[in-house]
Amino acid sequence: MGANAQTSVPAFADGQVLTGQQQTEINTGIPVFADSSARDAAFGGTGEKVLAEGQFAFLEDTNTTQFYDGAAWEPVGVSGLTYITQATPSAVSSISINNCFTSAYENYKIVMNLSAIVADGNIGLRLRVGGVDTSTNYVSQRLGANGAVVFAGANVLGTDEMYILSGISAEPRTSAVAFDMFAPQLATDTTCVTHFGALDVINGSPLILTWNSQNSNTAFDGFTLISTANMTGTIRVYGYQNS
Amino acid sequence: MADVYELNAQTGKVTLRDYTEAEAEQRTKDLAKHAALAQAEQDRKALKAEVIAKLGLTTDEVAALLS
Repeated sequence: MGANAQTSVPAFADGQVLTGQQQTEINTGIPVFADSSARDAAFGGTGEKVLAEGQFAFLEDTNTTQFYDGAAWEPVGVSGLTYITQATPSAVSSISINNCFTSAYENYKIVMNLSAIVADGNIGLRLRVGGVDTSTNYVSQRLGANGAVVFAGANVLGTDEMYILSGISAEPRTSAVAFDMFAPQLATDTTCVTHFGALDVINGSPLILTWNSQNSNTAFDGFTLISTANMTGTIRVYGYQNS
Repeated sequence: MADVYELNAQTGKVTLRDYTEAEAEQRTKDLAKHAALAQAEQDRKALKAEVIAKLGLTTDEVAALLS
């Protein structure tokens, strides 16, 4: 329990002399509790405030702020997308992010911005668990357009990785991708949908959509991005709130 | 210079390291695969150019056909 955590939300009588501890408690603004059990026990007892609509609370175990709506405690300021982590690799050919897929979220959004790639090349992704990549049972489909030409193909990078992005060394910052990863931490098929483009003054500037699936029914906890050429950039991982 | 950037999302710890033996083996396979894919793409483009030349069409005419 932290220094500001309360075990009671006191009420005072007219003319009562307050102790320093009591004054500190009423000076903390939103009351802080170790967990929801401590919060629930802090209201309605002898000498405590009655829980009522509009009451706020902060829980240490989940680092969340809540308000009471008259019937239940509700979270404050929760968006549909929650930042989890970011990687900032420099001049490497393999980027692994471990323990980013947890039971806290079922689906994830991953955003990758390249700032440099030393040669043109495709970037693949392998799911991993326990720090080990899985390199089997992938299926993918690509649909692209380059000027007036439309192209498509299955398993463009084979069946040992997902197809995520094509990096263009001359214009690396235009090689950006956002992709959704569905249910990687569940022991079922994992699906990934990407959309990206790149400015390529030599071969045209394609827009590409890919669908990928990994079908080992494995619960994964991370992923690895792989390129034939060294990459520098930023990869951010977000979780979609389940509710 | 390290080959691998590895981040633990729970602790925030970043590890820069070389490939393990198993990873290096996979890396060799990956490079061979991507080289073969690049060669196949080049072959496809060359064949396409060859067919267009046989047909005697201009680039604009081919674009009009494909649009």
